[in-house]
Amino acid sequence: MEFYNKPGDYDAINYIPHTESHGTKELWKTFWLLLGITLFDFMIYFVMPASGFRNFIFIFFGLVKAYFIVGAFMHLKHEKMTLALIILVPTIFICGLIIGLLYEGSALEVMKSM
Amino acid sequence: MANQTTTAASFENQPTWAGGRSPFNVSYGKLMMWIFLLSDAFTFSSLLVQYGTQRFSNVVTAITTKWPDPASIFNHFPGMHGFHLPLLFVSVMTFILILSSVTMVLAVEAGHRNSKKEVAKFMIYTILGGLAFLSCQAWEWYTFIHEGARLDGNTFGITKQGYDHLHSVSFGSHFEWEVGDRTFGPVPFAALFFIVTGFHGFHVFSGVVINVVVYIMTVRGVFERRGHYEMIEKAGLYWHFVDLVWVFVFTFFYLI
Repeated sequence: MEFYNKPGDYDAINYIPHTESHGTKELWKTFWLLLGITLFDFMIYFVMPASGFRNFIFIFFGLVKAYFIVGAFMHLKHEKMTLALIILVPTIFICGLIIGLLYEGSALEVMKSM
Repeated sequence: MANQTTTAASFENQPTWAGGRSPFNVSYGKLMMWIFLLSDAFTFSSLLVQYGTQRFSNVVTAITTKWPDPASIFNHFPGMHGFHLPLLFVSVMTFILILSSVTMVLAVEAGHRNSKKEVAKFMIYTILGGLAFLSCQAWEWYTFIHEGARLDGNTFGITKQGYDHLHSVSFGSHFEWEVGDRTFGPVPFAALFFIVTGFHGFHVFSGVVINVVVYIMTVRGVFERRGHYEMIEKAGLYWHFVDLVWVFVFTFFYLI
């Protein structure tokens, strides 16, 4: 990934897209990884009793799956750093918002029982 | 054409951010698809924020022990009536969606090689995967509504007795609810399930429509004449996003 464009990288009018094939090896590898993680989740669900740690495992592997889908399938790993950043930075803030509002939800629960 | 060439040449000397070329080195259409997906990510995030807050503020109510355990509700499998099979059907759905994601990305790869025949083949597989997923979701909704799920109420609250009963049953064995196992639970449960999975299902449906349109364009040779298959990439971005949302729906609605 590069930060700056070189002259002639992209021409708005006589645009010819980059059409080089990277082969299917990485794609199949990603598929087996996603399938493996899903089966692992399935197994953990029955092997471990429900707990905060188990939820942490599920969310962690959910994020790992998201990384592979966005990185390999949606090709964001190979796009410009600036593009990747404008996509990823707001979603990181959203994760913060979700975590914050879960705490607020717990506080609501306590208030309702008062 | 001569006019276009001179216009293009005049961009050569302009700085990157002056509008001559894309600062991100991607085409206009692809960039706009990314921006759209970002906005769609905010839509789904706001739904998940709502779900998370409701769930955390309804852990214990006066009459139930907790927010309904997904294992107690989504434990059906077509043709296996009366058996306790939590998570199995939804894992099959996840598998279908992952598989259709792979066929989509293989269509994109075939497009890079300008292989019209292969693009058409993989687009058909992707469309079939999307339709299979939608059928599964229809069955899931049908079963859930048949069990009594409504937007304005929740009869899936589990008492302490019901919780113990459920967890004494092993995977794959016969299971029936007994009197006193269930009671009223937190009201937003079914509504949030319908809204979030419904929104996702609608995205899958739109994705299938987009894929069908792109498939017809491929078969009719539109991209062949255009010289590149970038439209497949744009449809692919949308399709993978739908898969991405499912990863989180699967995690937060079924696993946790």
